[in-house]
Amino acid sequence: MSNIVIQLANVNKRFGVLHAVRDVSFEIQRGQVCGFLGPNGAGKSTTIRMVMSILLPDSGVITVLGGSALDAKDRIGYLPEERGLYRKMRVADFLRFMAKLKGISRADADSRIRSWLERVELPNVSQKRCEELSKGMQQKLQFIGAVLHEPPLLILDEPFSGLDPVNRRLLSSVVRQLKENGTTILFSTHQMEQAEDLCDQILLIHKGEKVLDETMSQIHSRFDPRTILAQPANSIDTATQALKVVAGIESMRWSLEQKSFEIRLLAGVDPQRAMVDIMRATPLRRVELQRATLDDVFVKLVGGSVTKFEATSATEQVKVNHG
Amino acid sequence: MAERGATRRVRVIAWRDFRYTVLTKGFLIGAIILPGIMFAAIPLLPLLIDSKTAPLTGRVAVIDPSNSIAKAFEITLRKNPAQTIDLEEDATNTSTTDVALTVESVPDPSRVEELLLQLRDSSLQALIIISSNADGPSTELLIPSEASPRHTTILEKSLREAVTRVRVSKANEDYERITKLLARPKIDTRRVSPDGSESNEIAQLRMLVPAGFMFLLWMAVITSGNYLLTSTIEEKSSRVMEVLLSAVSPIELLCGKLVGQAGVAGVMLLMYGGVGLAGLGAVAMLDVVPLPHLLWLVVWFPLAYFTVAAIMVSLGSAVSDLREAQSLIGPAMILLTVPLILWLPIVENPNGTLATVCSFIPPAAPFVMILRLTGANEAVPLVQALLAMFVSAATVVAILWVGARVFRVGVLMQGKPPSPIELLRWIRAR
Repeated sequence: MSNIVIQLANVNKRFGVLHAVRDVSFEIQRGQVCGFLGPNGAGKSTTIRMVMSILLPDSGVITVLGGSALDAKDRIGYLPEERGLYRKMRVADFLRFMAKLKGISRADADSRIRSWLERVELPNVSQKRCEELSKGMQQKLQFIGAVLHEPPLLILDEPFSGLDPVNRRLLSSVVRQLKENGTTILFSTHQMEQAEDLCDQILLIHKGEKVLDETMSQIHSRFDPRTILAQPANSIDTATQALKVVAGIESMRWSLEQKSFEIRLLAGVDPQRAMVDIMRATPLRRVELQRATLDDVFVKLVGGSVTKFEATSATEQVKVNHG
Repeated sequence: MAERGATRRVRVIAWRDFRYTVLTKGFLIGAIILPGIMFAAIPLLPLLIDSKTAPLTGRVAVIDPSNSIAKAFEITLRKNPAQTIDLEEDATNTSTTDVALTVESVPDPSRVEELLLQLRDSSLQALIIISSNADGPSTELLIPSEASPRHTTILEKSLREAVTRVRVSKANEDYERITKLLARPKIDTRRVSPDGSESNEIAQLRMLVPAGFMFLLWMAVITSGNYLLTSTIEEKSSRVMEVLLSAVSPIELLCGKLVGQAGVAGVMLLMYGGVGLAGLGAVAMLDVVPLPHLLWLVVWFPLAYFTVAAIMVSLGSAVSDLREAQSLIGPAMILLTVPLILWLPIVENPNGTLATVCSFIPPAAPFVMILRLTGANEAVPLVQALLAMFVSAATVVAILWVGARVFRVGVLMQGKPPSPIELLRWIRAR
């Protein structure tokens, strides 16, 4: 059995003059959690809708669970970006309706509904009408609708948007549990910390084009900014004079925000060795090798007019900027 | 055997649509409680029909220099109004009105102003002015502004008879003898069926039967079509559509909604049709609805329903609110109202050119055909019935095909409604 759960090959989608998705290809392996990132209007939801066969691509091939998503809808859980419920329906009736659509028997559905409502901390709402729930509660209710049938593939479009920090953590832990149980998850988000925390793989799309498709460790190594943060124990002037003689430093600037020097290293310089040299040169309160966050990567890749070529040679781009 | 996924999903969608339409207050009142009340009221109908209207009492002044009309009017008023010549054929005669009027003859025409004042304060029920001019005598009837139409009719017809009575008297004839000679003979018309049984003929009712069938079909189909339109718009505006499309394909969703609302239309047809049949049964006139008519209804119901439903659901998917839908639905509604406007000429001449041509114009064809086929006076050629059925079935297939393509694209669209060119693009999209 193939380990590839979702596969897109050269997928394109246009809406009139707008080329919403341009020649996008990627694969998601079984059991992986893939973060689908991109600025607003980048084409994330359109791509997800095509994966779900809600929209059809103009060209390219999409394979989901070995075939078309239309044939596998009972094995996919989907939380769309735009939340929607039957406002007049009671909570239990809505979830039962969703369960029936996914082929779950009524008795089985009832026990699952009870269990999930408790799990997402929504007790005593089953007889309420959907319109009586708060926005956050409705979002959790819809999340239950997506996972009730225990699908092997879960697609979540902005699952954390609009949730307070407590519920965000709650939902995040549920997603983590599903991942541990082997569910393959594709989720789009603007919450970079959540993506960094949960994802094995990151897909970044910008203006309809894929600009990044890497595992988290690949991203960390590729987007190593080669910057050391050093907070001096003595005066800034003294420390500046002392650091000028350290070898391998390309540039240096004082960060008021960090109350530290941001020291950029030349290409080929070993950061560990440089840190030792810096500590020898001047007394320090703190020294650390700055790690690229997903937020930094996102801003770097979509902040300017980034092309696919630039993204694939992102490491070189960083070097050029610092050179 | 396990139910196939697509069948199950269509069934689940259909049941939800059916259940949440039938259980709304509006539907319960309109389609179940109202026919229930009508059904319960059937035994009370004769009592209601026999109820008396308010009595006509008070004074009537007749300005008549000759005094002849006033006297004749007094005699006429003493008769039961239902027995006057003019009222014999009047349907409203089934209810009776007590008349106790005092007729005051006023020979002096100069009192007209004084009497008009009395009329205005309602102390006078009517003022009759008889005058003569070059063309002969003229008669005016003045009544208070709040006079009931029924009372006015009695006064008019009694006055007409009084004038006639005076004319006959002036010609030295006996009014009672002449009225007896002119009385309309009662004809007892009965239909004899092939098995030899006889039933009373009520021609007007027989004319109304096809209209009843057509209105029943029209009401059930249009009502459920409207439910389909509003529920689709609601699912779009509440953003639940994408949730549904994550679990079902657009075609499964469309089929489920169509089947669910077909059930709603079926319930309405049964409820109102049942009340109609019960009403006819209560007055022992079930023979005006023979079994073939009911079978024709069964044949034309799905054709009418799916034509209208496919139009409604594709419109619902293309727009974002009801106002936009109403502006787009105009042309289809004009065609759908054709049978409502033309039912009388079609029933009177079911094989005429108008009826025949309208039988092949979708989406009105099913309604026109039910009018023609349930009319009693002429048999519709079978070949025409079959051809109309084929045209309607082809229309259903074509509208469903177009509707499905519009639905597939439209359900996820928000914002302004599509232009005709955009709609064409949706239909042609892969």
